[in-house]
Amino acid sequence: MATDPVCKMTVEPTKAAAQSAYKGQTYYFCAVGCKQKFDREPEKYLAGGSSRMSGPR
Amino acid sequence: MDKEKRTFAVRGMHCAACVGKVERALRGVPGVGAASVNLATERATVEWDPARADAPALASAVAAAGYELAEASAPATPGDATQDREQIARAEEQGRLRRRVLVGIALSIPIVLGSMTEVFPWAPAWLRDPWTLLLLATPVQFWVGADFHRGFLHDVRYRSASMSTLVSLGTNAAYFFSLAVTLWPHVFMDLGAMPYYETAAVVITLVALGRWLEARARGRTSEAIRRLVSLAPRTTRALRNGVEVDVPTSEVVVGDLVRIRPGERVPVDGEVVEGASTIDESMLTGESLPVEKAPGASVFGGTVNRTGSFVFRATRVGGETTLARIVKLVEEAQGSRAPIQRLADQVAAVFVPVVLAIAAATLVGWWLLGPSPSILYALTNAVAVLVIACPCAMGLATPTAIMVATGRGAEVGVLVKSATALETLANVDTVVFDKTGTLTVGRPTVTDVIAAPGVAEEDLLAFAAAAEQGSEHPIGEAIVARAKERGLALPPVTEFVTVPGQGIDALAPEGRLLLGNRALIEARGVDVSALAPRAEALAQAGKTVVYLAVAFRPLGLVAVADTLKPEARAVVGALRQRGIEVTMLTGDDRRTAAAIAREADIDRVLAEILPQDKAREIARLREHGRRVAMVGDGINDAPALAQADVGIAMGSGTDVAIEAADVTLMRGDLRGVVAAVDLSRRTIRIVKENLGWAFGYNVVLIPVAAGLLYPFWGVLLSPILAGAAMAFSSVSVVTNSLRLKRWRPSSQ
Repeated sequence: MATDPVCKMTVEPTKAAAQSAYKGQTYYFCAVGCKQKFDREPEKYLAGGSSRMSGPR
Repeated sequence: MDKEKRTFAVRGMHCAACVGKVERALRGVPGVGAASVNLATERATVEWDPARADAPALASAVAAAGYELAEASAPATPGDATQDREQIARAEEQGRLRRRVLVGIALSIPIVLGSMTEVFPWAPAWLRDPWTLLLLATPVQFWVGADFHRGFLHDVRYRSASMSTLVSLGTNAAYFFSLAVTLWPHVFMDLGAMPYYETAAVVITLVALGRWLEARARGRTSEAIRRLVSLAPRTTRALRNGVEVDVPTSEVVVGDLVRIRPGERVPVDGEVVEGASTIDESMLTGESLPVEKAPGASVFGGTVNRTGSFVFRATRVGGETTLARIVKLVEEAQGSRAPIQRLADQVAAVFVPVVLAIAAATLVGWWLLGPSPSILYALTNAVAVLVIACPCAMGLATPTAIMVATGRGAEVGVLVKSATALETLANVDTVVFDKTGTLTVGRPTVTDVIAAPGVAEEDLLAFAAAAEQGSEHPIGEAIVARAKERGLALPPVTEFVTVPGQGIDALAPEGRLLLGNRALIEARGVDVSALAPRAEALAQAGKTVVYLAVAFRPLGLVAVADTLKPEARAVVGALRQRGIEVTMLTGDDRRTAAAIAREADIDRVLAEILPQDKAREIARLREHGRRVAMVGDGINDAPALAQADVGIAMGSGTDVAIEAADVTLMRGDLRGVVAAVDLSRRTIRIVKENLGWAFGYNVVLIPVAAGLLYPFWGVLLSPILAGAAMAFSSVSVVTNSLRLKRWRPSSQ
């Protein structure tokens, strides 16, 4: 299981609504909206500290 | 100064020459700039300077030429139920001709029985009495034949000649000579002269029969307009003061808010203000893929809403809507058709002066050189020349060939609506095809399935079809159809979400399933750059490409395109072989158009043509001296179909196209175009042969009638010889026409 870095929801990687590759890592999102927010300012959501990275596929 | 331009109804026209006469009469009025008259729609469009002329002046000028100019019924507007006044008038005209033919037949039969005593020796004596024959022949001559005599008077005034001239001249000569023989039998009978009542009656009846047969083929032109008009719904659900009310569409005003529910037709043009939907605009654009509509988008009257519901603000109503403009284009196109001079009239125009000269020479020759009483011989023989010069089979030459040809055409799937279309088609040198639905099948089918490395093509198609099941979108239907053809088992897919304008987002057991355009896939973070070059190449070829990704892994591409009908290439080749140039006309972009044209082997392509410009392109070709047949299927093709010399509609197409066209190909098979051209050429050849037979016997008898044989054998024209010529030429013509029954389309 992975966590959406924007809304912090738990998502199943294959069934996520969207994904993003950032600095060699793949992030999964519950919705396209979350991905868009993330793509605009990835550091803002990653710097939050509590965000979980999911492992590379 | 402002010009005034109006359209009038013209009554009383029945031939190409009439059109010229009415036009000349109108142009002769001071202040009139332009006047164009249409025979098929019986309308005249006139432009004039209101300071120098007015409508009553035009009407009296036309009346002086022997026709009637009347107010045209108001142009039809969508949603309006009142029309067809002209159709009623045309039905009356047909009824009038039919009554005359029936009376002509009823009276001609006893006249023939009573006259041809050698053939019908059992006819009662009272029927043989010349006074009985006079009684029977008079109504035929002056009531059944009234139109011909009227036509004759017109021709005299304009120094022209047509079939009417010949008929009127010949039958009047026969009738009045017979009247003289009846009044003073001893004067004429001593010369061996006999009455010609049966010749006059039979000629008039047969030519009237031909004219009636042709009138039945005419007069369905306004049907296209009626069908177009009925496309817009009669009532509209308008929002007024926040309340939904049903109002007649004709009362919708600009600015009204209109609600459209799923499956309804849009009544007027406007702009979406609330809600969203997809709309089938194929009737206007010919494009089979439905169009997405969000607030701000334009919607058009007559188009069909699919699944969504929305509110729009009316921006164009009544005569201003796109649909109304198409109606107007069709009407204008029908009004601008150049009349063709019928073959029989062409022959008559040459024949009449020659015959008159021979008759005059006969009169003078016998008067000067003939035996006593020379004036009587001169009169008798001059009359005989006029009588024999009017072959009754002439009136049958064209109608019988046309009737047999149209009957045979219908049997092989080519429905020909008018006699003139069949005559014109033979001379066509350019055939213009609409693309979508005419050259092509009209709906997309899967053309390419391109799987990413390591992916089975079957799996790709199965996922795509699973996502599209239940889709009403033509692309989805094409994919599902292909999967079904292959007998693929579809994976259970759930949670369908349609992303408007992009594709489908769903959930397969293997994970997130994305099917759609590049934007849809990339918005979800799937990298499809590896597939992009292939996709670009397919798009270049005019295909629509959808990407498929499952669990964020790009699986491949499915390309769909409207495909060429299988027979299209052979048909293009067959037309070229017949010396006909082939052009394709489409609203589609150049790429798609070029791809289809290449496949069909068409080298002349006019792409990105707006629907309203299709007719203009046809008009342009015609201005360059081309005789154009247009082949189309959509409502947007209707103006072009009406504009062309011959319009050919696909039977699989819209009713409006079928009504606007002259020829309909059943089953939408393009081979019908070649068949129609061949049938037409064959028919024209038969008509020409018929005219040869019709005139032939009589031409041979003209020297006899003129008395050239008299000095040697004492032979002059007798009713027996005239009757034999009538019988032989009629039988020859009808038999020759029946040969068309055996015509069959060439197998290409």
